[in-house]
Amino acid sequence: MHYPWWYIPNMTAPMLIAAIATLHVFVSLYAVGGGIVLAGEVSHAYKIKSKPALDYLRSHTLFFILLTVVFGAITGVGIWWTIGLASPLATESLIHIFVFGWAMEYVFFLIEITSAFIFHYYWGRLDPRVHKTIGWIYGVSAYISLVIITGITAFQLDIGSWTPEKGMWAAFFNPQTFPQIMARSGASLLLASLYIYLHAAFKLRNDHELRSLVENRTSKWAMAGAVLVTIGGAWWYINIPDSAKSALAGASALNILSALIFLASAVVFFMLYFGPYRNPGWINPGFAILYFLLGIAATGTGEFIREGVRKPFIVYNYVTGNNVLVSQIPKLQATGYLNGGVWTKAYMKKYYPQVIEEDGNISDNKLLLLPVNDQIRVGQVLFQYHCNDCHSTKGFSGVANLTQGWNKSMIHTVVTHLDKAHFFMPPWCGTEAEAALLTEYLQSLSEPAPAGMKFSGTGFPEKGSVVSKVEGEEAGR
Amino acid sequence: MNPIDLIGPISPLGNPAPFWFITFFKVLGFILHMIPMNIWYAGMILVAIFSVFGKRHSLELAHRLSRTMPIIVASGVNLGIVPLLFTQVGYYQFYYPAGVLMAYAWFSVIIILVFAYYGVYVYSLNVRSGKRTKFALASAWVSSIAFLFIGFLFANNFSLMVNVENWIGVFNSTSVAGAVLGTGLNTGDATLIPRWLMMFGLAMTTTAVYIIFDATFFKRKDATEDYKKWAARFAFVFHTIGVLIFVIMGSWYIFGAIERSTLDQLGQSSAMYVVFALTAISPGLVWIVMLAQSRGIRRNATIAAAALQVVVLGLNATSRQWVQNVEIFKFERISQLPVNIQWSPMILFLLLFVVGLAVVGWMIAKIVEVEKKAAEA
Repeated sequence: MHYPWWYIPNMTAPMLIAAIATLHVFVSLYAVGGGIVLAGEVSHAYKIKSKPALDYLRSHTLFFILLTVVFGAITGVGIWWTIGLASPLATESLIHIFVFGWAMEYVFFLIEITSAFIFHYYWGRLDPRVHKTIGWIYGVSAYISLVIITGITAFQLDIGSWTPEKGMWAAFFNPQTFPQIMARSGASLLLASLYIYLHAAFKLRNDHELRSLVENRTSKWAMAGAVLVTIGGAWWYINIPDSAKSALAGASALNILSALIFLASAVVFFMLYFGPYRNPGWINPGFAILYFLLGIAATGTGEFIREGVRKPFIVYNYVTGNNVLVSQIPKLQATGYLNGGVWTKAYMKKYYPQVIEEDGNISDNKLLLLPVNDQIRVGQVLFQYHCNDCHSTKGFSGVANLTQGWNKSMIHTVVTHLDKAHFFMPPWCGTEAEAALLTEYLQSLSEPAPAGMKFSGTGFPEKGSVVSKVEGEEAGR
Repeated sequence: MNPIDLIGPISPLGNPAPFWFITFFKVLGFILHMIPMNIWYAGMILVAIFSVFGKRHSLELAHRLSRTMPIIVASGVNLGIVPLLFTQVGYYQFYYPAGVLMAYAWFSVIIILVFAYYGVYVYSLNVRSGKRTKFALASAWVSSIAFLFIGFLFANNFSLMVNVENWIGVFNSTSVAGAVLGTGLNTGDATLIPRWLMMFGLAMTTTAVYIIFDATFFKRKDATEDYKKWAARFAFVFHTIGVLIFVIMGSWYIFGAIERSTLDQLGQSSAMYVVFALTAISPGLVWIVMLAQSRGIRRNATIAAAALQVVVLGLNATSRQWVQNVEIFKFERISQLPVNIQWSPMILFLLLFVVGLAVVGWMIAKIVEVEKKAAEA
C-alpha cells in the first residue's frame, strides 16, 4: 500500500513471481548441483585418464553454460524484477535486511560466471590441476550462492528470533535455513543428475560403454541427492510454524502434494538404485525424459508447497500477503485502509474530494453517504489494494466464485473476520465503513448459487412416508 | 494530485549502510556494468550490420566481436546487479513506483533479454563452427534491436523514477480503481530521448576503444597487420560518430530538456561544476588518442585509450548520480534517512569482495599464462 498496485485482469501480479521463480529454480538447482557434479566427475576423469569421459564432460559443460549462465542468470535477475513489481513493500523490507547477503551472493556469482567460462573455453588448454581447481571454484561458489539465497527465502517462512532492531544474522540463522539448505542441496544434486541423464541419453546413445560409465557415476550423486531431499524435507516439516502445518493439513491439495513428493523421492531412489546404479546403460532417451519430467514436477511441487504454506505472510509476522506491515494493521483498522495507503489516499483526494475532511483525512461517515455506485467503486479500490494480491475478480482464485451464492450479510461477516474465517488470510485492515464498501463491491461481483441443485422437493421419499417406514422396519429387524 | 503525496513512507528498518556507501557502490557498480553493456549495446549493431553487408575486415570484426560477446553479455548482466541492488536500498521510494507504473514494459526487459542473449549465442556458436546460416544472421539482428529496445526501457524507468510529476499523468491514464494497469511509459518526459541516445553515443565510443583493444591484445596471431590498420581507422570513425551523438544528445539534455532548477544547483557546487565540465570534454581526450591510433596501433596508446575511456564512464556515472540525487532531493532528502548500519555483514561483504576479486584475478592470470605460452609457441 506504500506503492501503486499492479492490476492484471483475471490473475494476480504475484502469480508472475511464481511463474518466474519456478522456471528459475529448475535451472538454478542444476547450476549448483551440476557445478559440483561436473567438478567431481572432471576430477575423476582426469584421475582415470579417460579422454572419452573428458570429451563428454566438455560437451555437457557447453549445454550447462547455455542453460545456466543465460537462462538461469537472467531469470534469477528476473525474480528481483518481478518481486519489485508485484510485492514492492516486501521486497523493500527484504532488501533492507539482506542487502549485504545479496551483495555477498553477487561476489560469488561473479566468481561463478568467470570460472564457468574459463572452465569451458580453456578446456584442454589449462593444466589439469588448474582446470580441476577452477571447476571446484565454480562448484563451491555456486553452492555458497544457494546457501545465501536459501537463508533469505527461509526467513520469509519463519523469522525466528529476528526483530526489526536485530541485524541480518538473526534473520539469516532462522529455524528454516538449515533444513531448507539440506533439502535444496539434495534437490540440486538430484536434478543435476537428471539433466545429465537427459543429455547423455541423447549425446551418447551410440556409445553404450561411456553412457554406462556416466550413468553409473551420476547415479551416486543422484541417490545422495534423494536421501538429502528426504531428510531435509522431513526436517523442514518438523521445523515449520504451526500455521504452515495447519495449512498443509487443511488444504487437501497441499496435503496430497506433500505426500507425493516424499513418495516420489523414495520411488526415484529405488529407480536409481535398480536402474543406472545396478544396471548402467539402461536409460534410453524416453526414460531419461520421463525421469527428468518427474524431477521437474517434484521440484515445482516442492516450491509450490514452500510458498503456499507461508500464507498469510510474505515475510512471516512482518509483511502480510497484501503488502501491509503487520505493525501498521492496528492503525489502519482505526484510521482506515484508504487513508493509510499512499496511492489510495491520493486517488480518493482526486476522485472523491467530497469525502476528505479538513485535516486531509478520509471521513468514514462521508464514505457511507456516497451513492451506491460510488460505494461500489470505492469498494473496488479497497479490493485492488487489500485483496488482489491473492484474488482476481472472476479469474484466478476469483472472488466472484468464492462468494457464489452468498448474501450480503455473509460477505460482510467474512470480510470483517477474514483471519477468523480462514487463518491463512490476513485480518481485515480497514474500518467498519470500508468493510461495508468492500462488501458492496463483492456483492456486485458475486455469482448466484449454481442452478439445478435441490435440497427439498426432489420427488425422493421424505421422512415419514410409506417407503421410509418400510426401510425403518427393515433396519430394526 | 500533489506529487509529494505519492512518495511512500521511509522504511522502518532504516538504511543498512550510510548513504555515501550506498551511492559509492551504486556508482562503482554502474561504471563496471557500463563497460560490457556499452560493448554489447553498440557492438551488436556492428555485428548485425557487418554480418550481412560486411566484407573481409568488417566481416572479421563482426566475427571477432561475436566470439567474445557471450562473455561480455554475461559480465554485463552480472555487473548490473550491484547498481540495481543499491538503487533498491537507497532509492526505493522512487524506484518501485516508477517500475510499477510501467510494469509490463519493465517486466518485458527480462523476456527480451533472454531472447537477445540466446541470439548472441546462436550467432557466436555459428561463427565458431565456421557457418553463416540465415537463422544466425537473423538472431544477430534480433539481438541488436532487442538491446536497443532494452536501453529505451531503462531510459524510461530511470527518467520516470526522478520525474515524480509525470507519475500523476501516467497514473491517471492507466489506473483502474486506484491500481495501475502497468501499461505506462515515460514518453512525455523531455529528457527521455536525449538520455537514451546519449548512452548510445557513449556506447559507440566504448565499443570503438574495445575494437582497438581487441586488435591490439586478443588473438594476435589471427589479427593481421592489415586488419589492425583497418580496425584502427574504423574505430576512429566509429568513435567520432559516437562523440558527435554524445555531444548533440548531451547538449539537448542539458540545454533543452533538464529542469532549470537542477542546473541552478550545479552553479552552487564548484566541485560538481568541474566534474560536469570534465564529463563533457573527456570523450575528446579519448578521441585524440584514437586519432593518433588511426595511423597505427601502439600498445601504450591502446592502454591509455582504454584507461581514459574508463575515466569517461566514471565521470558520466558520477554526473548522472549527482543529477539523480538533485532531482530526488526535491521530494525527499534520502541522504538524511535513518541509518541502522549492519556492521558485521558489511565488513564480511567487503572482505569477500576483496577475496572474490583475488580469486577472479588468479583465474584470469592463469588464462593469461596460457595465452602467453600459445603466443610464444
